[in-house]
Amino acid sequence: MRLLSSALVTLLTLTTFSFASSSSVLVVLDPSLDRENYSIFFGGLEKRGYNLTFRAPKDTSPAITDYGVSNYDHVILFAPDTKSYAKDITPQSLVGLLSENTNLLIALSPKQTPLTSLAAEFSLILPPPETPLISHHPARSEPQTTIPVTVSSSSPILTPGIPPVWFTGAPHALGSTPMLVPILRAPAESFAADSTSDDDSDALVTASEKGGEGLWAGSQMGLVTGFQTNVNSRVVFAGGVKMFSDEYATKELPSGGPPGNALFATDVAAWVFQEKLKLRIDAVDHRRVGESEVPKMYTTNDEIVYTAHISAYDSETSTWKPYSGIDDLQLEFTMLDPHIRTSLPPVPGSPGAYQVQFRAPDRHGVFKFVLNWKRKGYSYLESSTTVPVVPPRHDQYPRFLSAAWPYYAGAISTSAGFFLFAALWLAGDVKGERKKGSKVE
Amino acid sequence: MAGPKSSSKPSTASSETYVAVSTLWKSYLDQTPDRLKFIDAFLAFTVLSGVLQFVYCVLVTNFPFNAFLAGFASSVGQFVLTASLRAQVNPENRSEFKEVSPERAFADFALGSIVLHFFVFNFLG
Repeated sequence: MRLLSSALVTLLTLTTFSFASSSSVLVVLDPSLDRENYSIFFGGLEKRGYNLTFRAPKDTSPAITDYGVSNYDHVILFAPDTKSYAKDITPQSLVGLLSENTNLLIALSPKQTPLTSLAAEFSLILPPPETPLISHHPARSEPQTTIPVTVSSSSPILTPGIPPVWFTGAPHALGSTPMLVPILRAPAESFAADSTSDDDSDALVTASEKGGEGLWAGSQMGLVTGFQTNVNSRVVFAGGVKMFSDEYATKELPSGGPPGNALFATDVAAWVFQEKLKLRIDAVDHRRVGESEVPKMYTTNDEIVYTAHISAYDSETSTWKPYSGIDDLQLEFTMLDPHIRTSLPPVPGSPGAYQVQFRAPDRHGVFKFVLNWKRKGYSYLESSTTVPVVPPRHDQYPRFLSAAWPYYAGAISTSAGFFLFAALWLAGDVKGERKKGSKVE
Repeated sequence: MAGPKSSSKPSTASSETYVAVSTLWKSYLDQTPDRLKFIDAFLAFTVLSGVLQFVYCVLVTNFPFNAFLAGFASSVGQFVLTASLRAQVNPENRSEFKEVSPERAFADFALGSIVLHFFVFNFLG
């Protein structure tokens, strides 16, 4: 039933889910975690207008869903070590929340919990239990499981220039699904091992000799990874919950200076809770060039102009503003296979409008205008408009073919020559009669 | 008419042909009545038109084929009708066409031509 409803939602082109300027967030906080230790993160969220409701994993109220409808806009799951939850939190119910356009922020841990199987649903491969991330570099006074991780600037989710963030927790390997959005990768010199001391370094050596899945090391591992579903709801899996804490946000880096934990947590929360990189197609429009109405059907070889209007959500004003920043939008004119595939460039001077003009192919049939734009981190833009293309009517063909002019000229000149000949022949007859008549006389 | 009878040319085959053709042409011009020459001029024009259409069809394109057939048939049909008019009107053939007067021949020719042109313009497209 959920699959059917989520499949139906996938076919919608516009997300009809509109934000109230204050969104409701349910924070499932493990009782062992001190709420005051996360005051910077939660305080930042409240300052940005979110209503936070706190609850322990084993509490039955407030319930996340009532009869299948989600009660909250977003859910934060900071319960990494909890082995058993209340009845309403199961991996299946959390996936169901995503179908209801509820976004999730989930913190994992090296322990084996129900969240481990949930992460596997999203193509995240977790290492064996109790193998936290360890790095001996850079030299620091903290234990080896507390690691400063440099933040790469390539992801569109993070603002550039974030200093390294402190991290404690488990890494994960990324599966091959394109819906995964890597946010933070492990440092190249880090690895996952089941001991915090160096006594078991030979375990690492044997694991590296085994190769394959035996070696969890390097920046192929992710630490914080996002996933965007087909209905554009987002979920972020963070390898550890401590990186959101005040303790880590204020701990000084070994190279000096404050860490980027607060900035990083703000950016990640902004992405998951649909403040950033949230796009939608406002309208698509297609018509023949020079006409002002949408035609019911096109003829082959018609000149067609297609326009798409795209907006981005501006969280500061809670409104949708036209967005012209997509430079690789493509339009396909498809009948089983795309007959036309062309780029849809933004119209300069018209914010949010993207337009292209092309000639309908020389095939008749039922075609679709397909707009399909999927980029990591951005909302998926999908639109499909079906339109018939008919062959020309009998009177839409050219009346006189330019290839046939010699034949037209030949037939016309023969007819004209015949008339001229007949006229002159009869004139000569009359003259001859007159002459004969005069001769007879 | 200074002919090639001056024997400066050693080869005889080409000059013989030339002599034959020019004699034929001269006798045609002298001995054919004016009206027949008029018909012959029209015949030559029709042949030229048909040849040009055929050459275009072969060398350039035979699209659209119906237009080629109509134009070519117009030329050929008109040639046949005019040739039969010439045969019936020629005074030398009076013995063969005793019951057909020249006026009747011309009327047949005109009627046949009009029907031909009607069909041609319908098929021309």
